[in-house]
Amino acid sequence: MSAPAYSSSHPADGEATPAAGAGLRAAIRTAGFVGLALIAVLVGMSDVVAPYAADALHVGAALAPPSALHPFGTDLLGRDILSETLHGLAITVDYAVLAMLVTLLAGGFAGFVSARLPWGSGVILRWIGGILGAVPALLLAILFIGITTRDLAPLAAGLAAAPLAFVRAYDRAGALARSRHAEYARATGILSATLLRRDLVYEFRDTFLANAARALAAVTITLATVSFLGFGAVPPHRDLGLMIAAARASYLEAWWTAAFPALALLLLILFARLAAALEEGERP
Amino acid sequence: MWVFGVKAAAQFAAAVAGAFLLAAAVAALPASGHAGSIPGYLAAWLRQMDLAAHFDFGTSQVSGLSAVTELTRGLPVTLELVGAGALVAVILGAPLGVLLGTGRRLRAAAPLVQIVAAAPVFCAGLLLLWLSKRFLGWQGAGPMPFWTPLLHGDPAVAIGFKALALPALTVGAAGAAAVQLALRRAASLAMEAPYRQGLRLMGLSGFEIDGNYLAPQILAGLLASLGEIALALLSAAAVAEWVFDWPGAAVLFVKSVALHDWSAAALVLLVFAFITIAADFAGKLAAHAIAPEEVWA
Repeated sequence: MSAPAYSSSHPADGEATPAAGAGLRAAIRTAGFVGLALIAVLVGMSDVVAPYAADALHVGAALAPPSALHPFGTDLLGRDILSETLHGLAITVDYAVLAMLVTLLAGGFAGFVSARLPWGSGVILRWIGGILGAVPALLLAILFIGITTRDLAPLAAGLAAAPLAFVRAYDRAGALARSRHAEYARATGILSATLLRRDLVYEFRDTFLANAARALAAVTITLATVSFLGFGAVPPHRDLGLMIAAARASYLEAWWTAAFPALALLLLILFARLAAALEEGERP
Repeated sequence: MWVFGVKAAAQFAAAVAGAFLLAAAVAALPASGHAGSIPGYLAAWLRQMDLAAHFDFGTSQVSGLSAVTELTRGLPVTLELVGAGALVAVILGAPLGVLLGTGRRLRAAAPLVQIVAAAPVFCAGLLLLWLSKRFLGWQGAGPMPFWTPLLHGDPAVAIGFKALALPALTVGAAGAAAVQLALRRAASLAMEAPYRQGLRLMGLSGFEIDGNYLAPQILAGLLASLGEIALALLSAAAVAEWVFDWPGAAVLFVKSVALHDWSAAALVLLVFAFITIAADFAGKLAAHAIAPEEVWA
């Protein structure tokens, strides 16, 4: 993953040096991974950390503002929003990790391998990937869920994000196949399968974490949005998108009902974007 | 130019044909329900392809209207949102892109924009609704006429503006992120081009180089990203319609899928894919016309 904004520095004009740019990029990426690690710890301990069980009704007065007893306040049904946010974050992360794996397999890995398929047969798959990539991932995810069931929302979100990952990986593998090292390898009689295996190992080593973080950002946005639209998590298992959707009825008067789940969602996406070193505005 | 144009046109035609096949595959879904067999579905798909070639996507099983009629009701609303959002995107994104792309000190601040970029569109929409109600006393409203009163100087333009402003800002913010990124990338590439140093040695001033060489390169870079920007605007419009109760094509899609009414859903998919593909094609052609020496594949 490249970041031209930092790498294209002009030291002669008094700008940061390329080394400083790379250092900044590494610091941003580290901050992203540290943030994701903290979220993973929080999610792993959510049942211990959360003051109340998931979906515990009437533990406080309805729509009580943040207080010492309920630091994030309560919702319309008297649920503790701190507890609900922690449980919702855990469900969101569980679903997003599953969806991320689908994207990495059906997108990145399949795209990389397809570019090396014999007789140019991968071109057809690249064409299909390009067409699916022209449709907003949100609509694709809704379509997949509509064809199957809401229980398969993580799979649908993963598949919806896959076309873009497929196209990127296909183009990258194609460029590698045309590179000088590939030419030398072929000239010395190294088999295409061996070359593919070698490129896959290097690709995995160099870009796996960044690609995983990129996929995580993409599927989290899609999953939260499909849940918000009523196509994702099925109650009583409420993820953050569904919590925010439920808060629509009350958040104009009681801001805390939507603000804290939204903040948790924003942090998860932000850390994933930073870990992937995505640029602002870039499609994850 | 001709070689590039023919190649781009062939890619455009292949992509549009693929979008038709995708839409026909979706529209064929109800027919596959009778036996669930693959041959049955393929037969239905072939039938749908024939119908789709005549732009016939059947009748909505929910409303009883033709899918095309359903779409013609919702699409103008979506296009209005996308159009207004594009305007906002250019107004917000262009200066930001130029500043972050050429202002060397400001580049260090670029990661801060990540915080805004990380907010899902529906969260941004809800936040705008909350802010407008709290500080401006605005109430959310569906689509109201804005452009016609504006052109005729009608006082009703204020009501239309209130209805359009928030969804347009929501869509525009997503588009602005894409616009500034495209500009910034183009600016970074153009500023690294070796000809800059050569022109300087030839005695041209920085202003002349930027005006005559750099600006066209940056504009071409922006145009080459038109497909990506269109996709960002369409994606944001789909969510904004839902948040602000605008009965557009995306809402039609969501409701159609929820009710398994595949004919309307297929048509919306086709139109959205076509808009992205056409924007990409037109943008690449325009970019090539402005800067033919660059590769805009």
